[in-house]
Amino acid sequence: MSAPGHAQGNDAEVVLDPLDPRPFIEGKQTDKSLNDSLFRHVWIVPGKGWLALFTVALSMLGLLGLALGYTLYKGIGAWGNNNPVGWAFDIINFVWWIGIGHAGTLISAILLLFQQKWRTSINRFAEAMTLFAVMCALIFPIFHTGRPWFAAYWLMPYPSVQGIWPQFKSPLVWDVFAVSTYFTISLLFWYLGLIPDLAALRDSSTSKAKRTIYGMAAMGWRSSGRHWAEYKWSYLLLAGISTPLVLSVHTIVSFDFATSVLPGWHTTIFPPYFVAGAIFSGFAMVMTWMIPARHFLGLKHVVTMRHLENMCKVMLATGMMVSYGYIMEHFIAWYSGNQYESDMFFKVRWQGPFAPIFWLMVVCNVVTPQFFWFKKLRTSIVFMWFAALAINIGMWCERFNIIVTALHRDFLPASWGNYAPTWVDFCLFTGTIGLFSTLFLLFLKFVPAVAVTEIKELRHDTEHETHAAAAGGIHP
Amino acid sequence: MASLFRPHHNVLARLSLLLLAGGAVGGLGGVFFYVRSPLARGMQDPIEQPIQFDHRHHTRDEGIDCRFCHNTVEKSPHAGIPETQLCLNCHSQIWNQSPLLEPVRKSFFEGRPINWKKVNDVPDFVYFNHSIHVAKGVGCVTCHGRVDLMPAVEKANPLTMSWCLDCHRNPEKNLRPVSEVTNMEWKPEGDPVEVGHALKEQNQVLTRTSCTTCHR
Amino acid sequence: MSHHQSAGSERRSGALTIVKRVDPPRFWRSLEARSRSPELIEASKGEFPQGADQLADEPSRRSFMQLVGASTALVGAAACQRPNQKIYPYVRRPPEVTPGNPLHFATAYSLEGYARGLVVESHGGRPTKIEGNSDHPDSLGATTALDQALILGLYDDNRARQITHRREPGLGPEPAAWRSILVMIAERSEKLAQKNGAGLRFLVDPSASPLQADLRARLSERFPQAKFVAFSAVAAEGAALGNKLAFGRPLETRHDLAQAQVILALDADFLGDGPEQVKLSRQFGASRTPGPAMSRLYVAEPCFTPTGMLADHRLRLRGSEILALAQALVVELAKQPGLDGLAPLAGLPRAAASVDARWVAALAKDLARTRGKCAIIAGRRQPAAVHALAAAMNSALRNVGATVNYATPLAIDGGVEALRGLVEDIAAGTVDTLVITAKNPVFGAPADFKFDKLLARVPLSIYCGMAEDETSAAVTTFVPVAHSLESWGDGRALDGTVSIIQPLIHPLWSQVTDTDVTAAFLGEGDKGSHDLLTTFWKKRAIGSGWATDVSFDGLWESWLAKGVVDRTAAQPESGLATNPGALAGALAPLVAKAVKGDSIEIGFAVCPKVFDGRYANNAWLQELPHPVTKITWDNAVLMSKATAARLNVETGDVVRIEAGDRHVTGPAYIQPGHADEAVTVALGYGRTVAGKLAKGVGFNAAALRDSASPWFARGVNLARTSRTIRFGITQDHWDMEGRDPVIVATLAEFHKEGSHVNEKLEQQRRPLETIHEPVDYSQQPYKWAMAIDLSKCSGCNACVVACVSENNIPIVGRENVRIGREMQWLRLDRYYEGPVEDPEVVVQPVMCMHCEAAPCEYVCPVNATVHSDEGLNEMVYNRCVGTRYCNNNCPYKVRRFNFLDYHKEPSHVDKMATNPDVTVRSRGIMEKCTYCVQRIERKRIDARVEGRKIADGEIVTACQQVCPTGAIDFGSLNDPGARVTALHADPRRYNLLHEIGTRPRTAYLARIRNPNPELA
Repeated sequence: MSAPGHAQGNDAEVVLDPLDPRPFIEGKQTDKSLNDSLFRHVWIVPGKGWLALFTVALSMLGLLGLALGYTLYKGIGAWGNNNPVGWAFDIINFVWWIGIGHAGTLISAILLLFQQKWRTSINRFAEAMTLFAVMCALIFPIFHTGRPWFAAYWLMPYPSVQGIWPQFKSPLVWDVFAVSTYFTISLLFWYLGLIPDLAALRDSSTSKAKRTIYGMAAMGWRSSGRHWAEYKWSYLLLAGISTPLVLSVHTIVSFDFATSVLPGWHTTIFPPYFVAGAIFSGFAMVMTWMIPARHFLGLKHVVTMRHLENMCKVMLATGMMVSYGYIMEHFIAWYSGNQYESDMFFKVRWQGPFAPIFWLMVVCNVVTPQFFWFKKLRTSIVFMWFAALAINIGMWCERFNIIVTALHRDFLPASWGNYAPTWVDFCLFTGTIGLFSTLFLLFLKFVPAVAVTEIKELRHDTEHETHAAAAGGIHP
Repeated sequence: MASLFRPHHNVLARLSLLLLAGGAVGGLGGVFFYVRSPLARGMQDPIEQPIQFDHRHHTRDEGIDCRFCHNTVEKSPHAGIPETQLCLNCHSQIWNQSPLLEPVRKSFFEGRPINWKKVNDVPDFVYFNHSIHVAKGVGCVTCHGRVDLMPAVEKANPLTMSWCLDCHRNPEKNLRPVSEVTNMEWKPEGDPVEVGHALKEQNQVLTRTSCTTCHR
Repeated sequence: MSHHQSAGSERRSGALTIVKRVDPPRFWRSLEARSRSPELIEASKGEFPQGADQLADEPSRRSFMQLVGASTALVGAAACQRPNQKIYPYVRRPPEVTPGNPLHFATAYSLEGYARGLVVESHGGRPTKIEGNSDHPDSLGATTALDQALILGLYDDNRARQITHRREPGLGPEPAAWRSILVMIAERSEKLAQKNGAGLRFLVDPSASPLQADLRARLSERFPQAKFVAFSAVAAEGAALGNKLAFGRPLETRHDLAQAQVILALDADFLGDGPEQVKLSRQFGASRTPGPAMSRLYVAEPCFTPTGMLADHRLRLRGSEILALAQALVVELAKQPGLDGLAPLAGLPRAAASVDARWVAALAKDLARTRGKCAIIAGRRQPAAVHALAAAMNSALRNVGATVNYATPLAIDGGVEALRGLVEDIAAGTVDTLVITAKNPVFGAPADFKFDKLLARVPLSIYCGMAEDETSAAVTTFVPVAHSLESWGDGRALDGTVSIIQPLIHPLWSQVTDTDVTAAFLGEGDKGSHDLLTTFWKKRAIGSGWATDVSFDGLWESWLAKGVVDRTAAQPESGLATNPGALAGALAPLVAKAVKGDSIEIGFAVCPKVFDGRYANNAWLQELPHPVTKITWDNAVLMSKATAARLNVETGDVVRIEAGDRHVTGPAYIQPGHADEAVTVALGYGRTVAGKLAKGVGFNAAALRDSASPWFARGVNLARTSRTIRFGITQDHWDMEGRDPVIVATLAEFHKEGSHVNEKLEQQRRPLETIHEPVDYSQQPYKWAMAIDLSKCSGCNACVVACVSENNIPIVGRENVRIGREMQWLRLDRYYEGPVEDPEVVVQPVMCMHCEAAPCEYVCPVNATVHSDEGLNEMVYNRCVGTRYCNNNCPYKVRRFNFLDYHKEPSHVDKMATNPDVTVRSRGIMEKCTYCVQRIERKRIDARVEGRKIADGEIVTACQQVCPTGAIDFGSLNDPGARVTALHADPRRYNLLHEIGTRPRTAYLARIRNPNPELA
């Protein structure tokens, strides 16, 4: 099904955007070459590197099991949480992970609707992250409660013999719906996108076992015209459904705080500022994994510097939004003339016992992205990787500031307290990272890290358009 | 290469999806009905007691009022299980040799209580109070069923919170003149609803559904 | 509640008879049948073989089930199992016992020789809650924090159970039977009788008990040469001696502040210490209502006390400098018209100390102005000279007979000096038999007596104590005795009113009492204290013509029922006057040898939590935040900021205190308002032989105590060690941060129309704009609300312990307090205002405000905290999943979360202390103040069954009932006549954090001070 002038297309470098002539796919590629290069990491026997990483990830996952088990046995008292500070690492991690989950949907849904072709190389990757991040996040709403064995189902609206229902005024109940919807849609979206590639894997698999498994997973995809038509249609539909979710989920998460009366929580700017922060951290996390992955899986020709640079730009933009959020919070705290608010920001956060964490957050989230103004830096692999890492840390600090710092010194000075995490808290955090990494490494092992079909498609499109260009359709 | 899957595999695939969905719905539905079933609530399940006490005989044949034995029901949260001495008030005279009553005599002379098994039990964070219900004209039979027909007492009602709430929200159908609370066969004369409303006025019934009414 | 336990108690209380029904309806009755008949001892043996093992399942089955109740909810949700619980009915039910309804018994408890009348609530034979007896002059319905904790002391698992005996000092202790001890005593007393009791000594607890007095008299007959020495580690010896100097004979001071307009407390914590504290708190509280009659309180003290925290003027002086103040005051007073009689005393050589002359002058004027209506109170720690001067000034000011009275002592008083005699006798080897009923003298005695070493020289020393302690380890014979709530006895109030102490429960372990041991020397050791008591009182009653042989039983019943014996109050001396001239002569030498030296001064304080150490094993008291420092589970070396700076010490640094060849090490704590160049250390900590809770808590300050100067000593050296500790402290932030949770004003400001404070009050209560239409509760039968008067609260802590006892609040231990997990529902916030050297203090009780627009409610995902139709903010434990969201969103932070399973495996006896009307909360559940909803519901049901409305004052919350100053009121705002309705309309009323718009149901009344304009 190759277009006429195929050969010629092969000669020409694929050029799409006259403003940025750099290609999305580097080198002369054919469907075959792409298949080979992009499926390669699925078929090869995992190397030492992968195994080493996997072992590390698994042991961290073990920590998660340990921490959760100990918490169930001992109670929330196993953590550092205390009387004024009712929430700490538990909810910090929750918000952090949910945030990270946002890049995936943004890339796959919104960029798709905006027809941002460059998304194709990274969306599969990012969507997978969304799923795994949300899984990590989902641990906490249940396990942070004192009696998870009840929380697990009392938060669900069902007709119980007690004749009572959840309290729909509570943002925590909204969370349950928001996050579970988000997870479901993301899962469907991701899986739908996978189907053609699974089919391709099925067809190129060597053993019967593999064929059977990939075959069942591919749900009988035969890339017939009808299949493609329905595939396109439903993919677009899911993109449409998940677009509002990108905004809604973290908006609702932010309500957990915004609807309260607590100084430092009671803020109307939270929804946009949380969403921006979510995308910010999401991209940072994608970046953190993408850079090594493209290197070790040999994806440099599809995940090009251009992609990375675009991501840096997105981080710069969202980073600025987040910074604006910080500034606005402070302005309102001062302008409102509310003593509790201004004390919270100018005394507690700036000078309180947790001030270092606040200033670390400012450095990571406000200062770091500014370096992306310079092309030199936003095209330096090393710099952007460390920057991304810094942003991940910064966003975690942000949540610490919002939750712990606000809680430990509220209205009545007499009830002010302090907070110190325990080993369980740290294990819990490390453990979720372990869970994430484990799932991620498995993902890299068993399905292609980039949407091969879409890449191939992209190649064809671009090729076609360069034809048109050659025919004098477009003048550079 | 011959394709691994044939058209009928599609049918299989669709079926399995169907089963998955059906199983989920069926499972949840099953639980929903089970927890409401007499089995789950331990109803219609006569409890064997250390002494074969037969309410039929005492209430119907002898016509003894409930309050003769359960004599704190009007002034205490507990209806009261009769003390051994009360049993022997009669049974020192009649059946005083009966082997069936040996445990009673044993309890009396050893000064050790009889270990009755609880039939109608609510969790300990539920503070049910008999005196107020009786004072407002809720009959024994309403919650305990026809004890006068039970050879061995069994739980007659689910005693779930929603069951309690039903009555606390609309008590009318369960009210009777205070004089009739221990009457097992009392029936309202005329339209039950009207009678109920009248009784609600008459007994000054102000049912409450605030949580602390029962949970403290 | 537990029927089985009732079955037990039934055997004990077979012949109970209803004697009196007072309003609010409660039954008080005697426990006659508890006399120790052999049949009973048999029964009890059956019931409690070696400890309370038999109690394993039933005693408080309910509370135990409540323990696991919340987890049982899982079962409750899908209750698919047969109920496997048992019901244990009575065998013979006493007529007045109604299973499910509590009984109330009147009794009394003696501390420092004087008894306070109590009413004890009993559920199925288990005493569960202490209340004050409103008919008792020293209780008036309230109690102290210590009284409240008696319940836990009764069920203390660490109480001794086995009599031990050493054949001779030095040999190992062997278990012995009470019978054999009786035999031994009988033989010994035979021998002693032959030599007229030479070598026989009784070291007794100070006591005004008529029965004890009678026993002493009879013993003196049999053993003419036997001596009785009373000892208390914290006895007010100075008072006795001082009054002797002032009036020529030993007299005891009593105060009556009902009419007092100006009060001067010379290192006297009359609101937080001493037998009079409850009565005086009540009177003082009444006098703090702003108005022309509002009293004014001057306090001079080294370290803050509840009294000092309520002072209008506080002068911080080292303990030994109070004398100088008293002298300076005498000088100033003598200048006042009509008071020149004091002149001779003014001429005395002055003790060295600089005292703020302006302060003294103003004070003198104020006292002179209000002569006959003022009072000068000297504290227990002050030397004779100060008490004598106070007496002289009081009598010159014509206060004697009005605000201050003197009466012949009812208790044999004794302290360090009394003990000295005994110590010398033992050293001289003239003591061969020593009977100790005093409380742990080895621990309490001044270190230089080396009392434990001395005891080894006594061939036979018998000690009666409740638990193994430092003394029981040093004696030859240790007889565990029953708790006051387990035994018969009698006692007298400070004014002489007699109360009969009746037991609430059959002794859990030992059945012997001090009385039995003492009586054994009369050959009556096996009669049992009940017989001894009734025989004695029958004789007394018939003798004084109160009753005939026949009518006595009825009279006795009425005594037990009412809790006090009428017409037994002793009249104070009248027509007393001091002779300043003579007094001056007598005082001169005392003033001369007053504490001197310019080094740091150490002051020993009676601990408001563990007293002299006898309550050290009581978890409720150990976890109680200290009224001033808010430290739990520790004592500390308190010092001023300046002193700390000079010594280069910070809070938490462990310091080494050296006095002569003795030293202790303890953590320092910087206490604002502490006198400079002085440290204060609380007694009663650092127990070495004690229960598992008491051991290793704090340090034993008594190790530094010298009999020469038992309260204040100079010449100690403080040095910082390398170690530091972290206190388990419940409030570490002192400053109000300009947020004014407590509104404070002077009387003048308050009376001034539109003054700043009045505006602020108005602003803190006027309705706020809101988008939500406030719910209308006016149609409800009741609209519960509370009012707390900050002008009255002294922060004495009684309410906190009462709340813990009433609501089954768990104890979390020092570690958890450190990380902010204390569970007390009611906390007393304490703020300092002004310079850290010499600040003013305000105390604010804070518990759930029951906001009408409660921030905690809308955030709970499972409806576990909701609003009742009468406006209560309800906490439904069994629905709570523990997200802690409610507490995060609570502006007052009054919610408490069970981070761990604090009730895990309580011992059987611990379970007996729980209140069956309140669910015991399991792990992972939020809890908080409920306005004692269990009391509301009980009263509601009683009233509805009787077909009436609940009257105002019928429902009393635990904190309100116990509050000595009457600072707390509770009632329905829908009742126009209710006190609380009036208080909510009071011009001093304001809402805490009103600006948030929570519309709290608990209102505060501003703290009004009444300073002397001259000192403004």
